[in-house]
Amino acid sequence: MTATAPPQQSQSFLDPSVLARIGNLELLAKVVVEGFINGLHKSPHLGASTDFAEHRAYMPGDDIRKIDWKLWARSDRYYLKEFEADTNTNFLAILDVSPSMRFGAQSEDGRVSKLTYACYLAACLTYFSSLQRDRVGVATIDHDIVDIVPPSAKHLRRVLHSLDRIERSARDAKVTPGKSTLQAPLRKLSEMLRRRSIVVLISDFYEDPDQVINALSHVRGRGNDVIVFHLLDPREIDFSYTDASNFIDMETGTKMPVIPEYLRQQYRELVKAHTAALSKRIGETRADYALFDTSKPLDQALFSYLVAREKFSRVR
Amino acid sequence: MSFLAPAFLAGLLAIAVPVIIHLIHRERKVVIEFPSFMFLERIPYRSVRRQKIRHLLLLLLRCAAIAMLVTAFARPFFQRRQAPITGTGARELVILLDHSASMGYAGRWEKAKDAAKRAASGLGATDRATLVVFAGDAMVASEPMARPDRIVAAINAAKLTAEGTKYAPALKLASQIVSASSLPRREVVVISDFQKIGWASRNEIGFPKGTVITPVDLGGPSAADIAVSQVTTDRDSTGERDRVTVAARLINTGSVPKAVGVTLSVGGRDAQTKNATVPARGALQVAFTSIAVPSGATKGSVRVTPDSLPQDDVLNFTIAPDEAVPVLVVEPASARQNQGLYLSRALSIGDRPSFRVDQKNVGDLTPRDFEGRAVVVLDEVDPPGGEVGKRLRAAIDAGLGLIIVPGTNRAETWSADWRALLPATIGQSVDRTTDAGGTLSSLDYAHPIFELFNAPRSGDFSTARFYRYRALVPLTGATSPARFDDGSPALVERAAGAGKVLIWASSFDSYWTNLPLQPVFLPFMHQLGKHAGRYADPRPWYVAGEVVDLSRHGELTAPFTNSRAGSADSTRELRLESPSGARDRVTASGPNHLVTLHEQGFYEIGGRDTPAGSGRPIAVNVDPAESNLSHLDPQEIVAAVTSDSGQRQAGSDFNAGTPQDQENRQKVWWYLLLGALFLMAVETAMSNRLSRATS
Repeated sequence: MTATAPPQQSQSFLDPSVLARIGNLELLAKVVVEGFINGLHKSPHLGASTDFAEHRAYMPGDDIRKIDWKLWARSDRYYLKEFEADTNTNFLAILDVSPSMRFGAQSEDGRVSKLTYACYLAACLTYFSSLQRDRVGVATIDHDIVDIVPPSAKHLRRVLHSLDRIERSARDAKVTPGKSTLQAPLRKLSEMLRRRSIVVLISDFYEDPDQVINALSHVRGRGNDVIVFHLLDPREIDFSYTDASNFIDMETGTKMPVIPEYLRQQYRELVKAHTAALSKRIGETRADYALFDTSKPLDQALFSYLVAREKFSRVR
Repeated sequence: MSFLAPAFLAGLLAIAVPVIIHLIHRERKVVIEFPSFMFLERIPYRSVRRQKIRHLLLLLLRCAAIAMLVTAFARPFFQRRQAPITGTGARELVILLDHSASMGYAGRWEKAKDAAKRAASGLGATDRATLVVFAGDAMVASEPMARPDRIVAAINAAKLTAEGTKYAPALKLASQIVSASSLPRREVVVISDFQKIGWASRNEIGFPKGTVITPVDLGGPSAADIAVSQVTTDRDSTGERDRVTVAARLINTGSVPKAVGVTLSVGGRDAQTKNATVPARGALQVAFTSIAVPSGATKGSVRVTPDSLPQDDVLNFTIAPDEAVPVLVVEPASARQNQGLYLSRALSIGDRPSFRVDQKNVGDLTPRDFEGRAVVVLDEVDPPGGEVGKRLRAAIDAGLGLIIVPGTNRAETWSADWRALLPATIGQSVDRTTDAGGTLSSLDYAHPIFELFNAPRSGDFSTARFYRYRALVPLTGATSPARFDDGSPALVERAAGAGKVLIWASSFDSYWTNLPLQPVFLPFMHQLGKHAGRYADPRPWYVAGEVVDLSRHGELTAPFTNSRAGSADSTRELRLESPSGARDRVTASGPNHLVTLHEQGFYEIGGRDTPAGSGRPIAVNVDPAESNLSHLDPQEIVAAVTSDSGQRQAGSDFNAGTPQDQENRQKVWWYLLLGALFLMAVETAMSNRLSRATS
């Protein structure tokens, strides 16, 4: 199956600023996913495995419908044709909830923060995976694991509740200065994942690409499929500030007087180089990388996920 | 550079305003939370610094504009610098020698003269020196000269006085001398004990630049002294003969109590002696037993045991019998009942002064009735004619005060001589009965008659109603210190010879007015009588240096003029003999009626033929302020008169005009103002540009 481009008519409905008005995260995920599915030109049904596993000698009481008649014709013996069971996949969404992810909330234009966007995205992906009967879980990290809901077929509501709590607590929580890193929490999470899983990592990746790769290597090295969503606010990308202001680093709390007009061009180049390095290095680890700005509709993220999921299923 | 109004320089503090605004503006910048400085920190910081420099330029522009504006208001000007004066060349030396009473303390006077001689001894052949002796006033004792021996002679001739100390006149005189000098070097030597009381910081005295002022301080911080600072004489008239109680106030400026003997002398003989201990830095009142008032003016003194400053150890005074002001009230032949009652009763009350009132019918007047009179009241009678009239006019010329109450009399029938003597034309009667009577609406409280009523609640004339009065038209030289509410004069006065003539438009009884029934009537009549009779409160003693106006002190001159004897010779020459024996010719009125009492002791005034010792004594004492020996730092005076920091430096520009003239010529403030406006314009353009760039 091939996923096509997301439908344009649903874009307004999937706008994060519109979705932000929906208080129920489950309802939000449902609206997004089903709206997304209905808009696809081709069926996205995936995962129903019919792969042959083995032949077994017929035993009295077995369902005769499963007898491989072709084999009986060749060997004149009754064998049952057994197929590989429909095993569910673990789906784990890892959210970076470091202070920098709280950037972007603008009450005047309804723009959502990166963390909110990440929560929406994680909820949608979890709901989507749940529809596929995958075991779903979620983990939140900053410089360590903050919270984790282990993957399970029954954990959809827990995941959604956890995500909802993250979003709410992020609005009320005070910023604790400190530089977050992916290395330690991802290593711990990789050790906790007993089965091969689809790991979706959502972060703003304010870290050196080498360190990001090192962190991802722990997850990727255990056979997990990794999809990386790099979330950035549009202002982080284009640095569209105008007034000379005092900037405060949300991670460390340090201040810096900044004249945007003198920094903009160099900043853009640095961000572009950073994202390019991340894309290249993550691709080299056979993981999938996608850069999103929080003004974009969520279906683009879902579409990227489907593409990646299809790729993984092919190579499985 | 100097400033005409340096106080405006305090406005430079306003420079802090733009600085603070810049700081506040910077603090008010929007604080933006940004996810991470990961990329920002990799960008060089130079762009931010460059922005700061541009803001600093703006700040400097604003500060400079304010500084120029403030400096413009301070009115700066450049002082002309002339060739510096070298330490050589002819010298103009002014020696200011203090010969006030306090210099008699513990040998200071001898030291002062020695110091003056030392200062004069350094005179060169081309130098000039002037000796100025000063106390309450300054006097040039020797004209500018180059011979030290003459200066020394003038110093030796200088004597201590009993006057107080004032530095301002001496410094002013010295300033004039050195300013007028053409010699390149100028020096002023001030030799004094530098009494603190002699200097007022508000004195505005300035010396030309380059003048060297050298104080020679003969005073000291601790000067103990006992002084008789005051004597009071309380009269007691209850007995058959007036008695007087003399009390003296002693002060001790020393730090330890001191026992002294206090002696009262009357008529040259010691009457009583008491012992007293004056507390340290305190005062003590010593009262003597009352004594009978002598029949004539008698010398008296209170003295204490002599100490380091003997001049203030004695205080002289005079005791004189109380002299009533003689008043003659002339009434018409057919006077109303009680016509003179209010007047005579009002004047008969009181003893400071007391009035001796005699009432006489106009038909009974004789020429001798005016002898010894100070005031004559013509209460609704025509001026007398004949010999009586002549005597009356002569008495007026000699100083008598005539008060005319015209009543219903017809002034046009009076003789031309009398009409010429009147201060006003007497018109018709004004009837105010229809409007409940007129009031006194305009009083000249500066006039001696009404100055007593100047203070609040000191007499209310507004309650008096005047139902009828004569319309007066003041003549040339006349004054009208009181007017009715319709503007018509109520009282008109004009001098006539040594005396004066006054016209009262209404009556002195209740016939035309209810003024005699008002509380203010009695003090008004006393003031009127004192003014008309030229009465002045007799003073028991005067302060050395005081100027006495003999025309206002009839109690001093009256016995020796003919004014009370009917003679018109008011300018009769009198003799004034000082305690040192020097004689002056004075008059009770005229050109020599002002007398300056320089010496401590008893002056004696008398007629040309009055035997020595028979005249009227006038007691003169040292200025009580001289007993206050508080010391003043001489540098305070030097700093005050040489306020400019460059005063003691070489350089002279006192011929360049006053600082105002120099500032007016240069008009530096104008250029500063233009510069400030230009900077403001540049600042506006730059800030707008920056604002557009950042928006």
